[in-house]
Amino acid sequence: MKKLYAVAALLSLVGLADALYLTIEHVTGQSVRCTFIAGCSAVLSSPYAVVAGIPLATVGAAAYFTVFSLATLAFFGYGIAGKLLLPVVGAMFLVSLWLIYLQAFVIREFCQYCLLSAVITIALLMVVLINRRLRG
Amino acid sequence: MKRILPFIIILVVLGAALGSAWYLTRTIPASPATPTVPASGSPAPQGSPGTQQKPVVEGVPGAEPAHVIGAANAPVRLEEFGDFECPPCGLFHPILEKMHAEFGDQLQITFREFPLQQLHQHALAAASAAEAAGLQGKFWEMHDLLYERQNEWKKEFNVRPIFEGYAKQIGLDVERYTRDLSSDLVAQRIFQDGKRGHSLGVSGTPSVFINGRELSPDNMPAEKLRIVIQNELRSSGK
Repeated sequence: MKKLYAVAALLSLVGLADALYLTIEHVTGQSVRCTFIAGCSAVLSSPYAVVAGIPLATVGAAAYFTVFSLATLAFFGYGIAGKLLLPVVGAMFLVSLWLIYLQAFVIREFCQYCLLSAVITIALLMVVLINRRLRG
Repeated sequence: MKRILPFIIILVVLGAALGSAWYLTRTIPASPATPTVPASGSPAPQGSPGTQQKPVVEGVPGAEPAHVIGAANAPVRLEEFGDFECPPCGLFHPILEKMHAEFGDQLQITFREFPLQQLHQHALAAASAAEAAGLQGKFWEMHDLLYERQNEWKKEFNVRPIFEGYAKQIGLDVERYTRDLSSDLVAQRIFQDGKRGHSLGVSGTPSVFINGRELSPDNMPAEKLRIVIQNELRSSGK
């Protein structure tokens, strides 16, 4: 199902925009304070927001870009890219589950942009699984 | 053409992503790039954080007497606008304690109330508790407890009994404390600090001013704040 690759590419673009926004928040230091408009400060200023010195949001942006690239290539008939989608999205899904757990039980605060990212990842996994099933 | 089209699309998206990230991080400057030039003439470490690019701001006066620790004539005056329910303020609290321990009387720390009521349901109650404790000379004791136990009370529905427990713990006259909580004096102090914050352009917490210049949020980690304070000390020749 070629159309599903297009859906996956579009979803990953939304995820990329979301992760880029969080990266910019992190890099500019906006995330380390509470402001009238932002509700993510507790999550983004937590030690879990950085992995080996790299903002987790940047890792997320890279992951979404990878998914976008694979889905676009698969849409244009590169079969190997389509096969790589499931392991990449599967890994993103597992990381998302871990991040939801951290927000719910460790930090005890939710960041709406992080939740949006989790929703996009779940949707991506569903799209990829449906596509795999349809293709047999 | 069809074989290379996906690569063109991917490159366009990559360019757009990197370009927008570069543009937005450039237009929202976070850190002052120029370090303070020390009076001694020796250059500050390259890339060391400073507050020099921000203008000195005066603003309207806050509540008097202010909550201050450190010597009155300290060469470095740090003024924090804080909200006891704000998680980053809670994280900043031990950093300030560390700076106070390291720099002693060379650093004067002033705390100003800036409860973000739209964001934090108990921010005003916590500010009132600290101010009521202040009327019995125990502001800093309550300030410390509120920050250190932020996770204990911020999710509770009714924080009044918890704060009363803290009042007891730090040895306040609880009856007077309870009376003071809803007093005009406490409300006026919080209002006056808020007014000062707004006049300085404060929109979030913690907002920190060092010798009248706003500290960039990404200079708030201990290692960077230490350099800023050291640079200010050098500038003052102490």
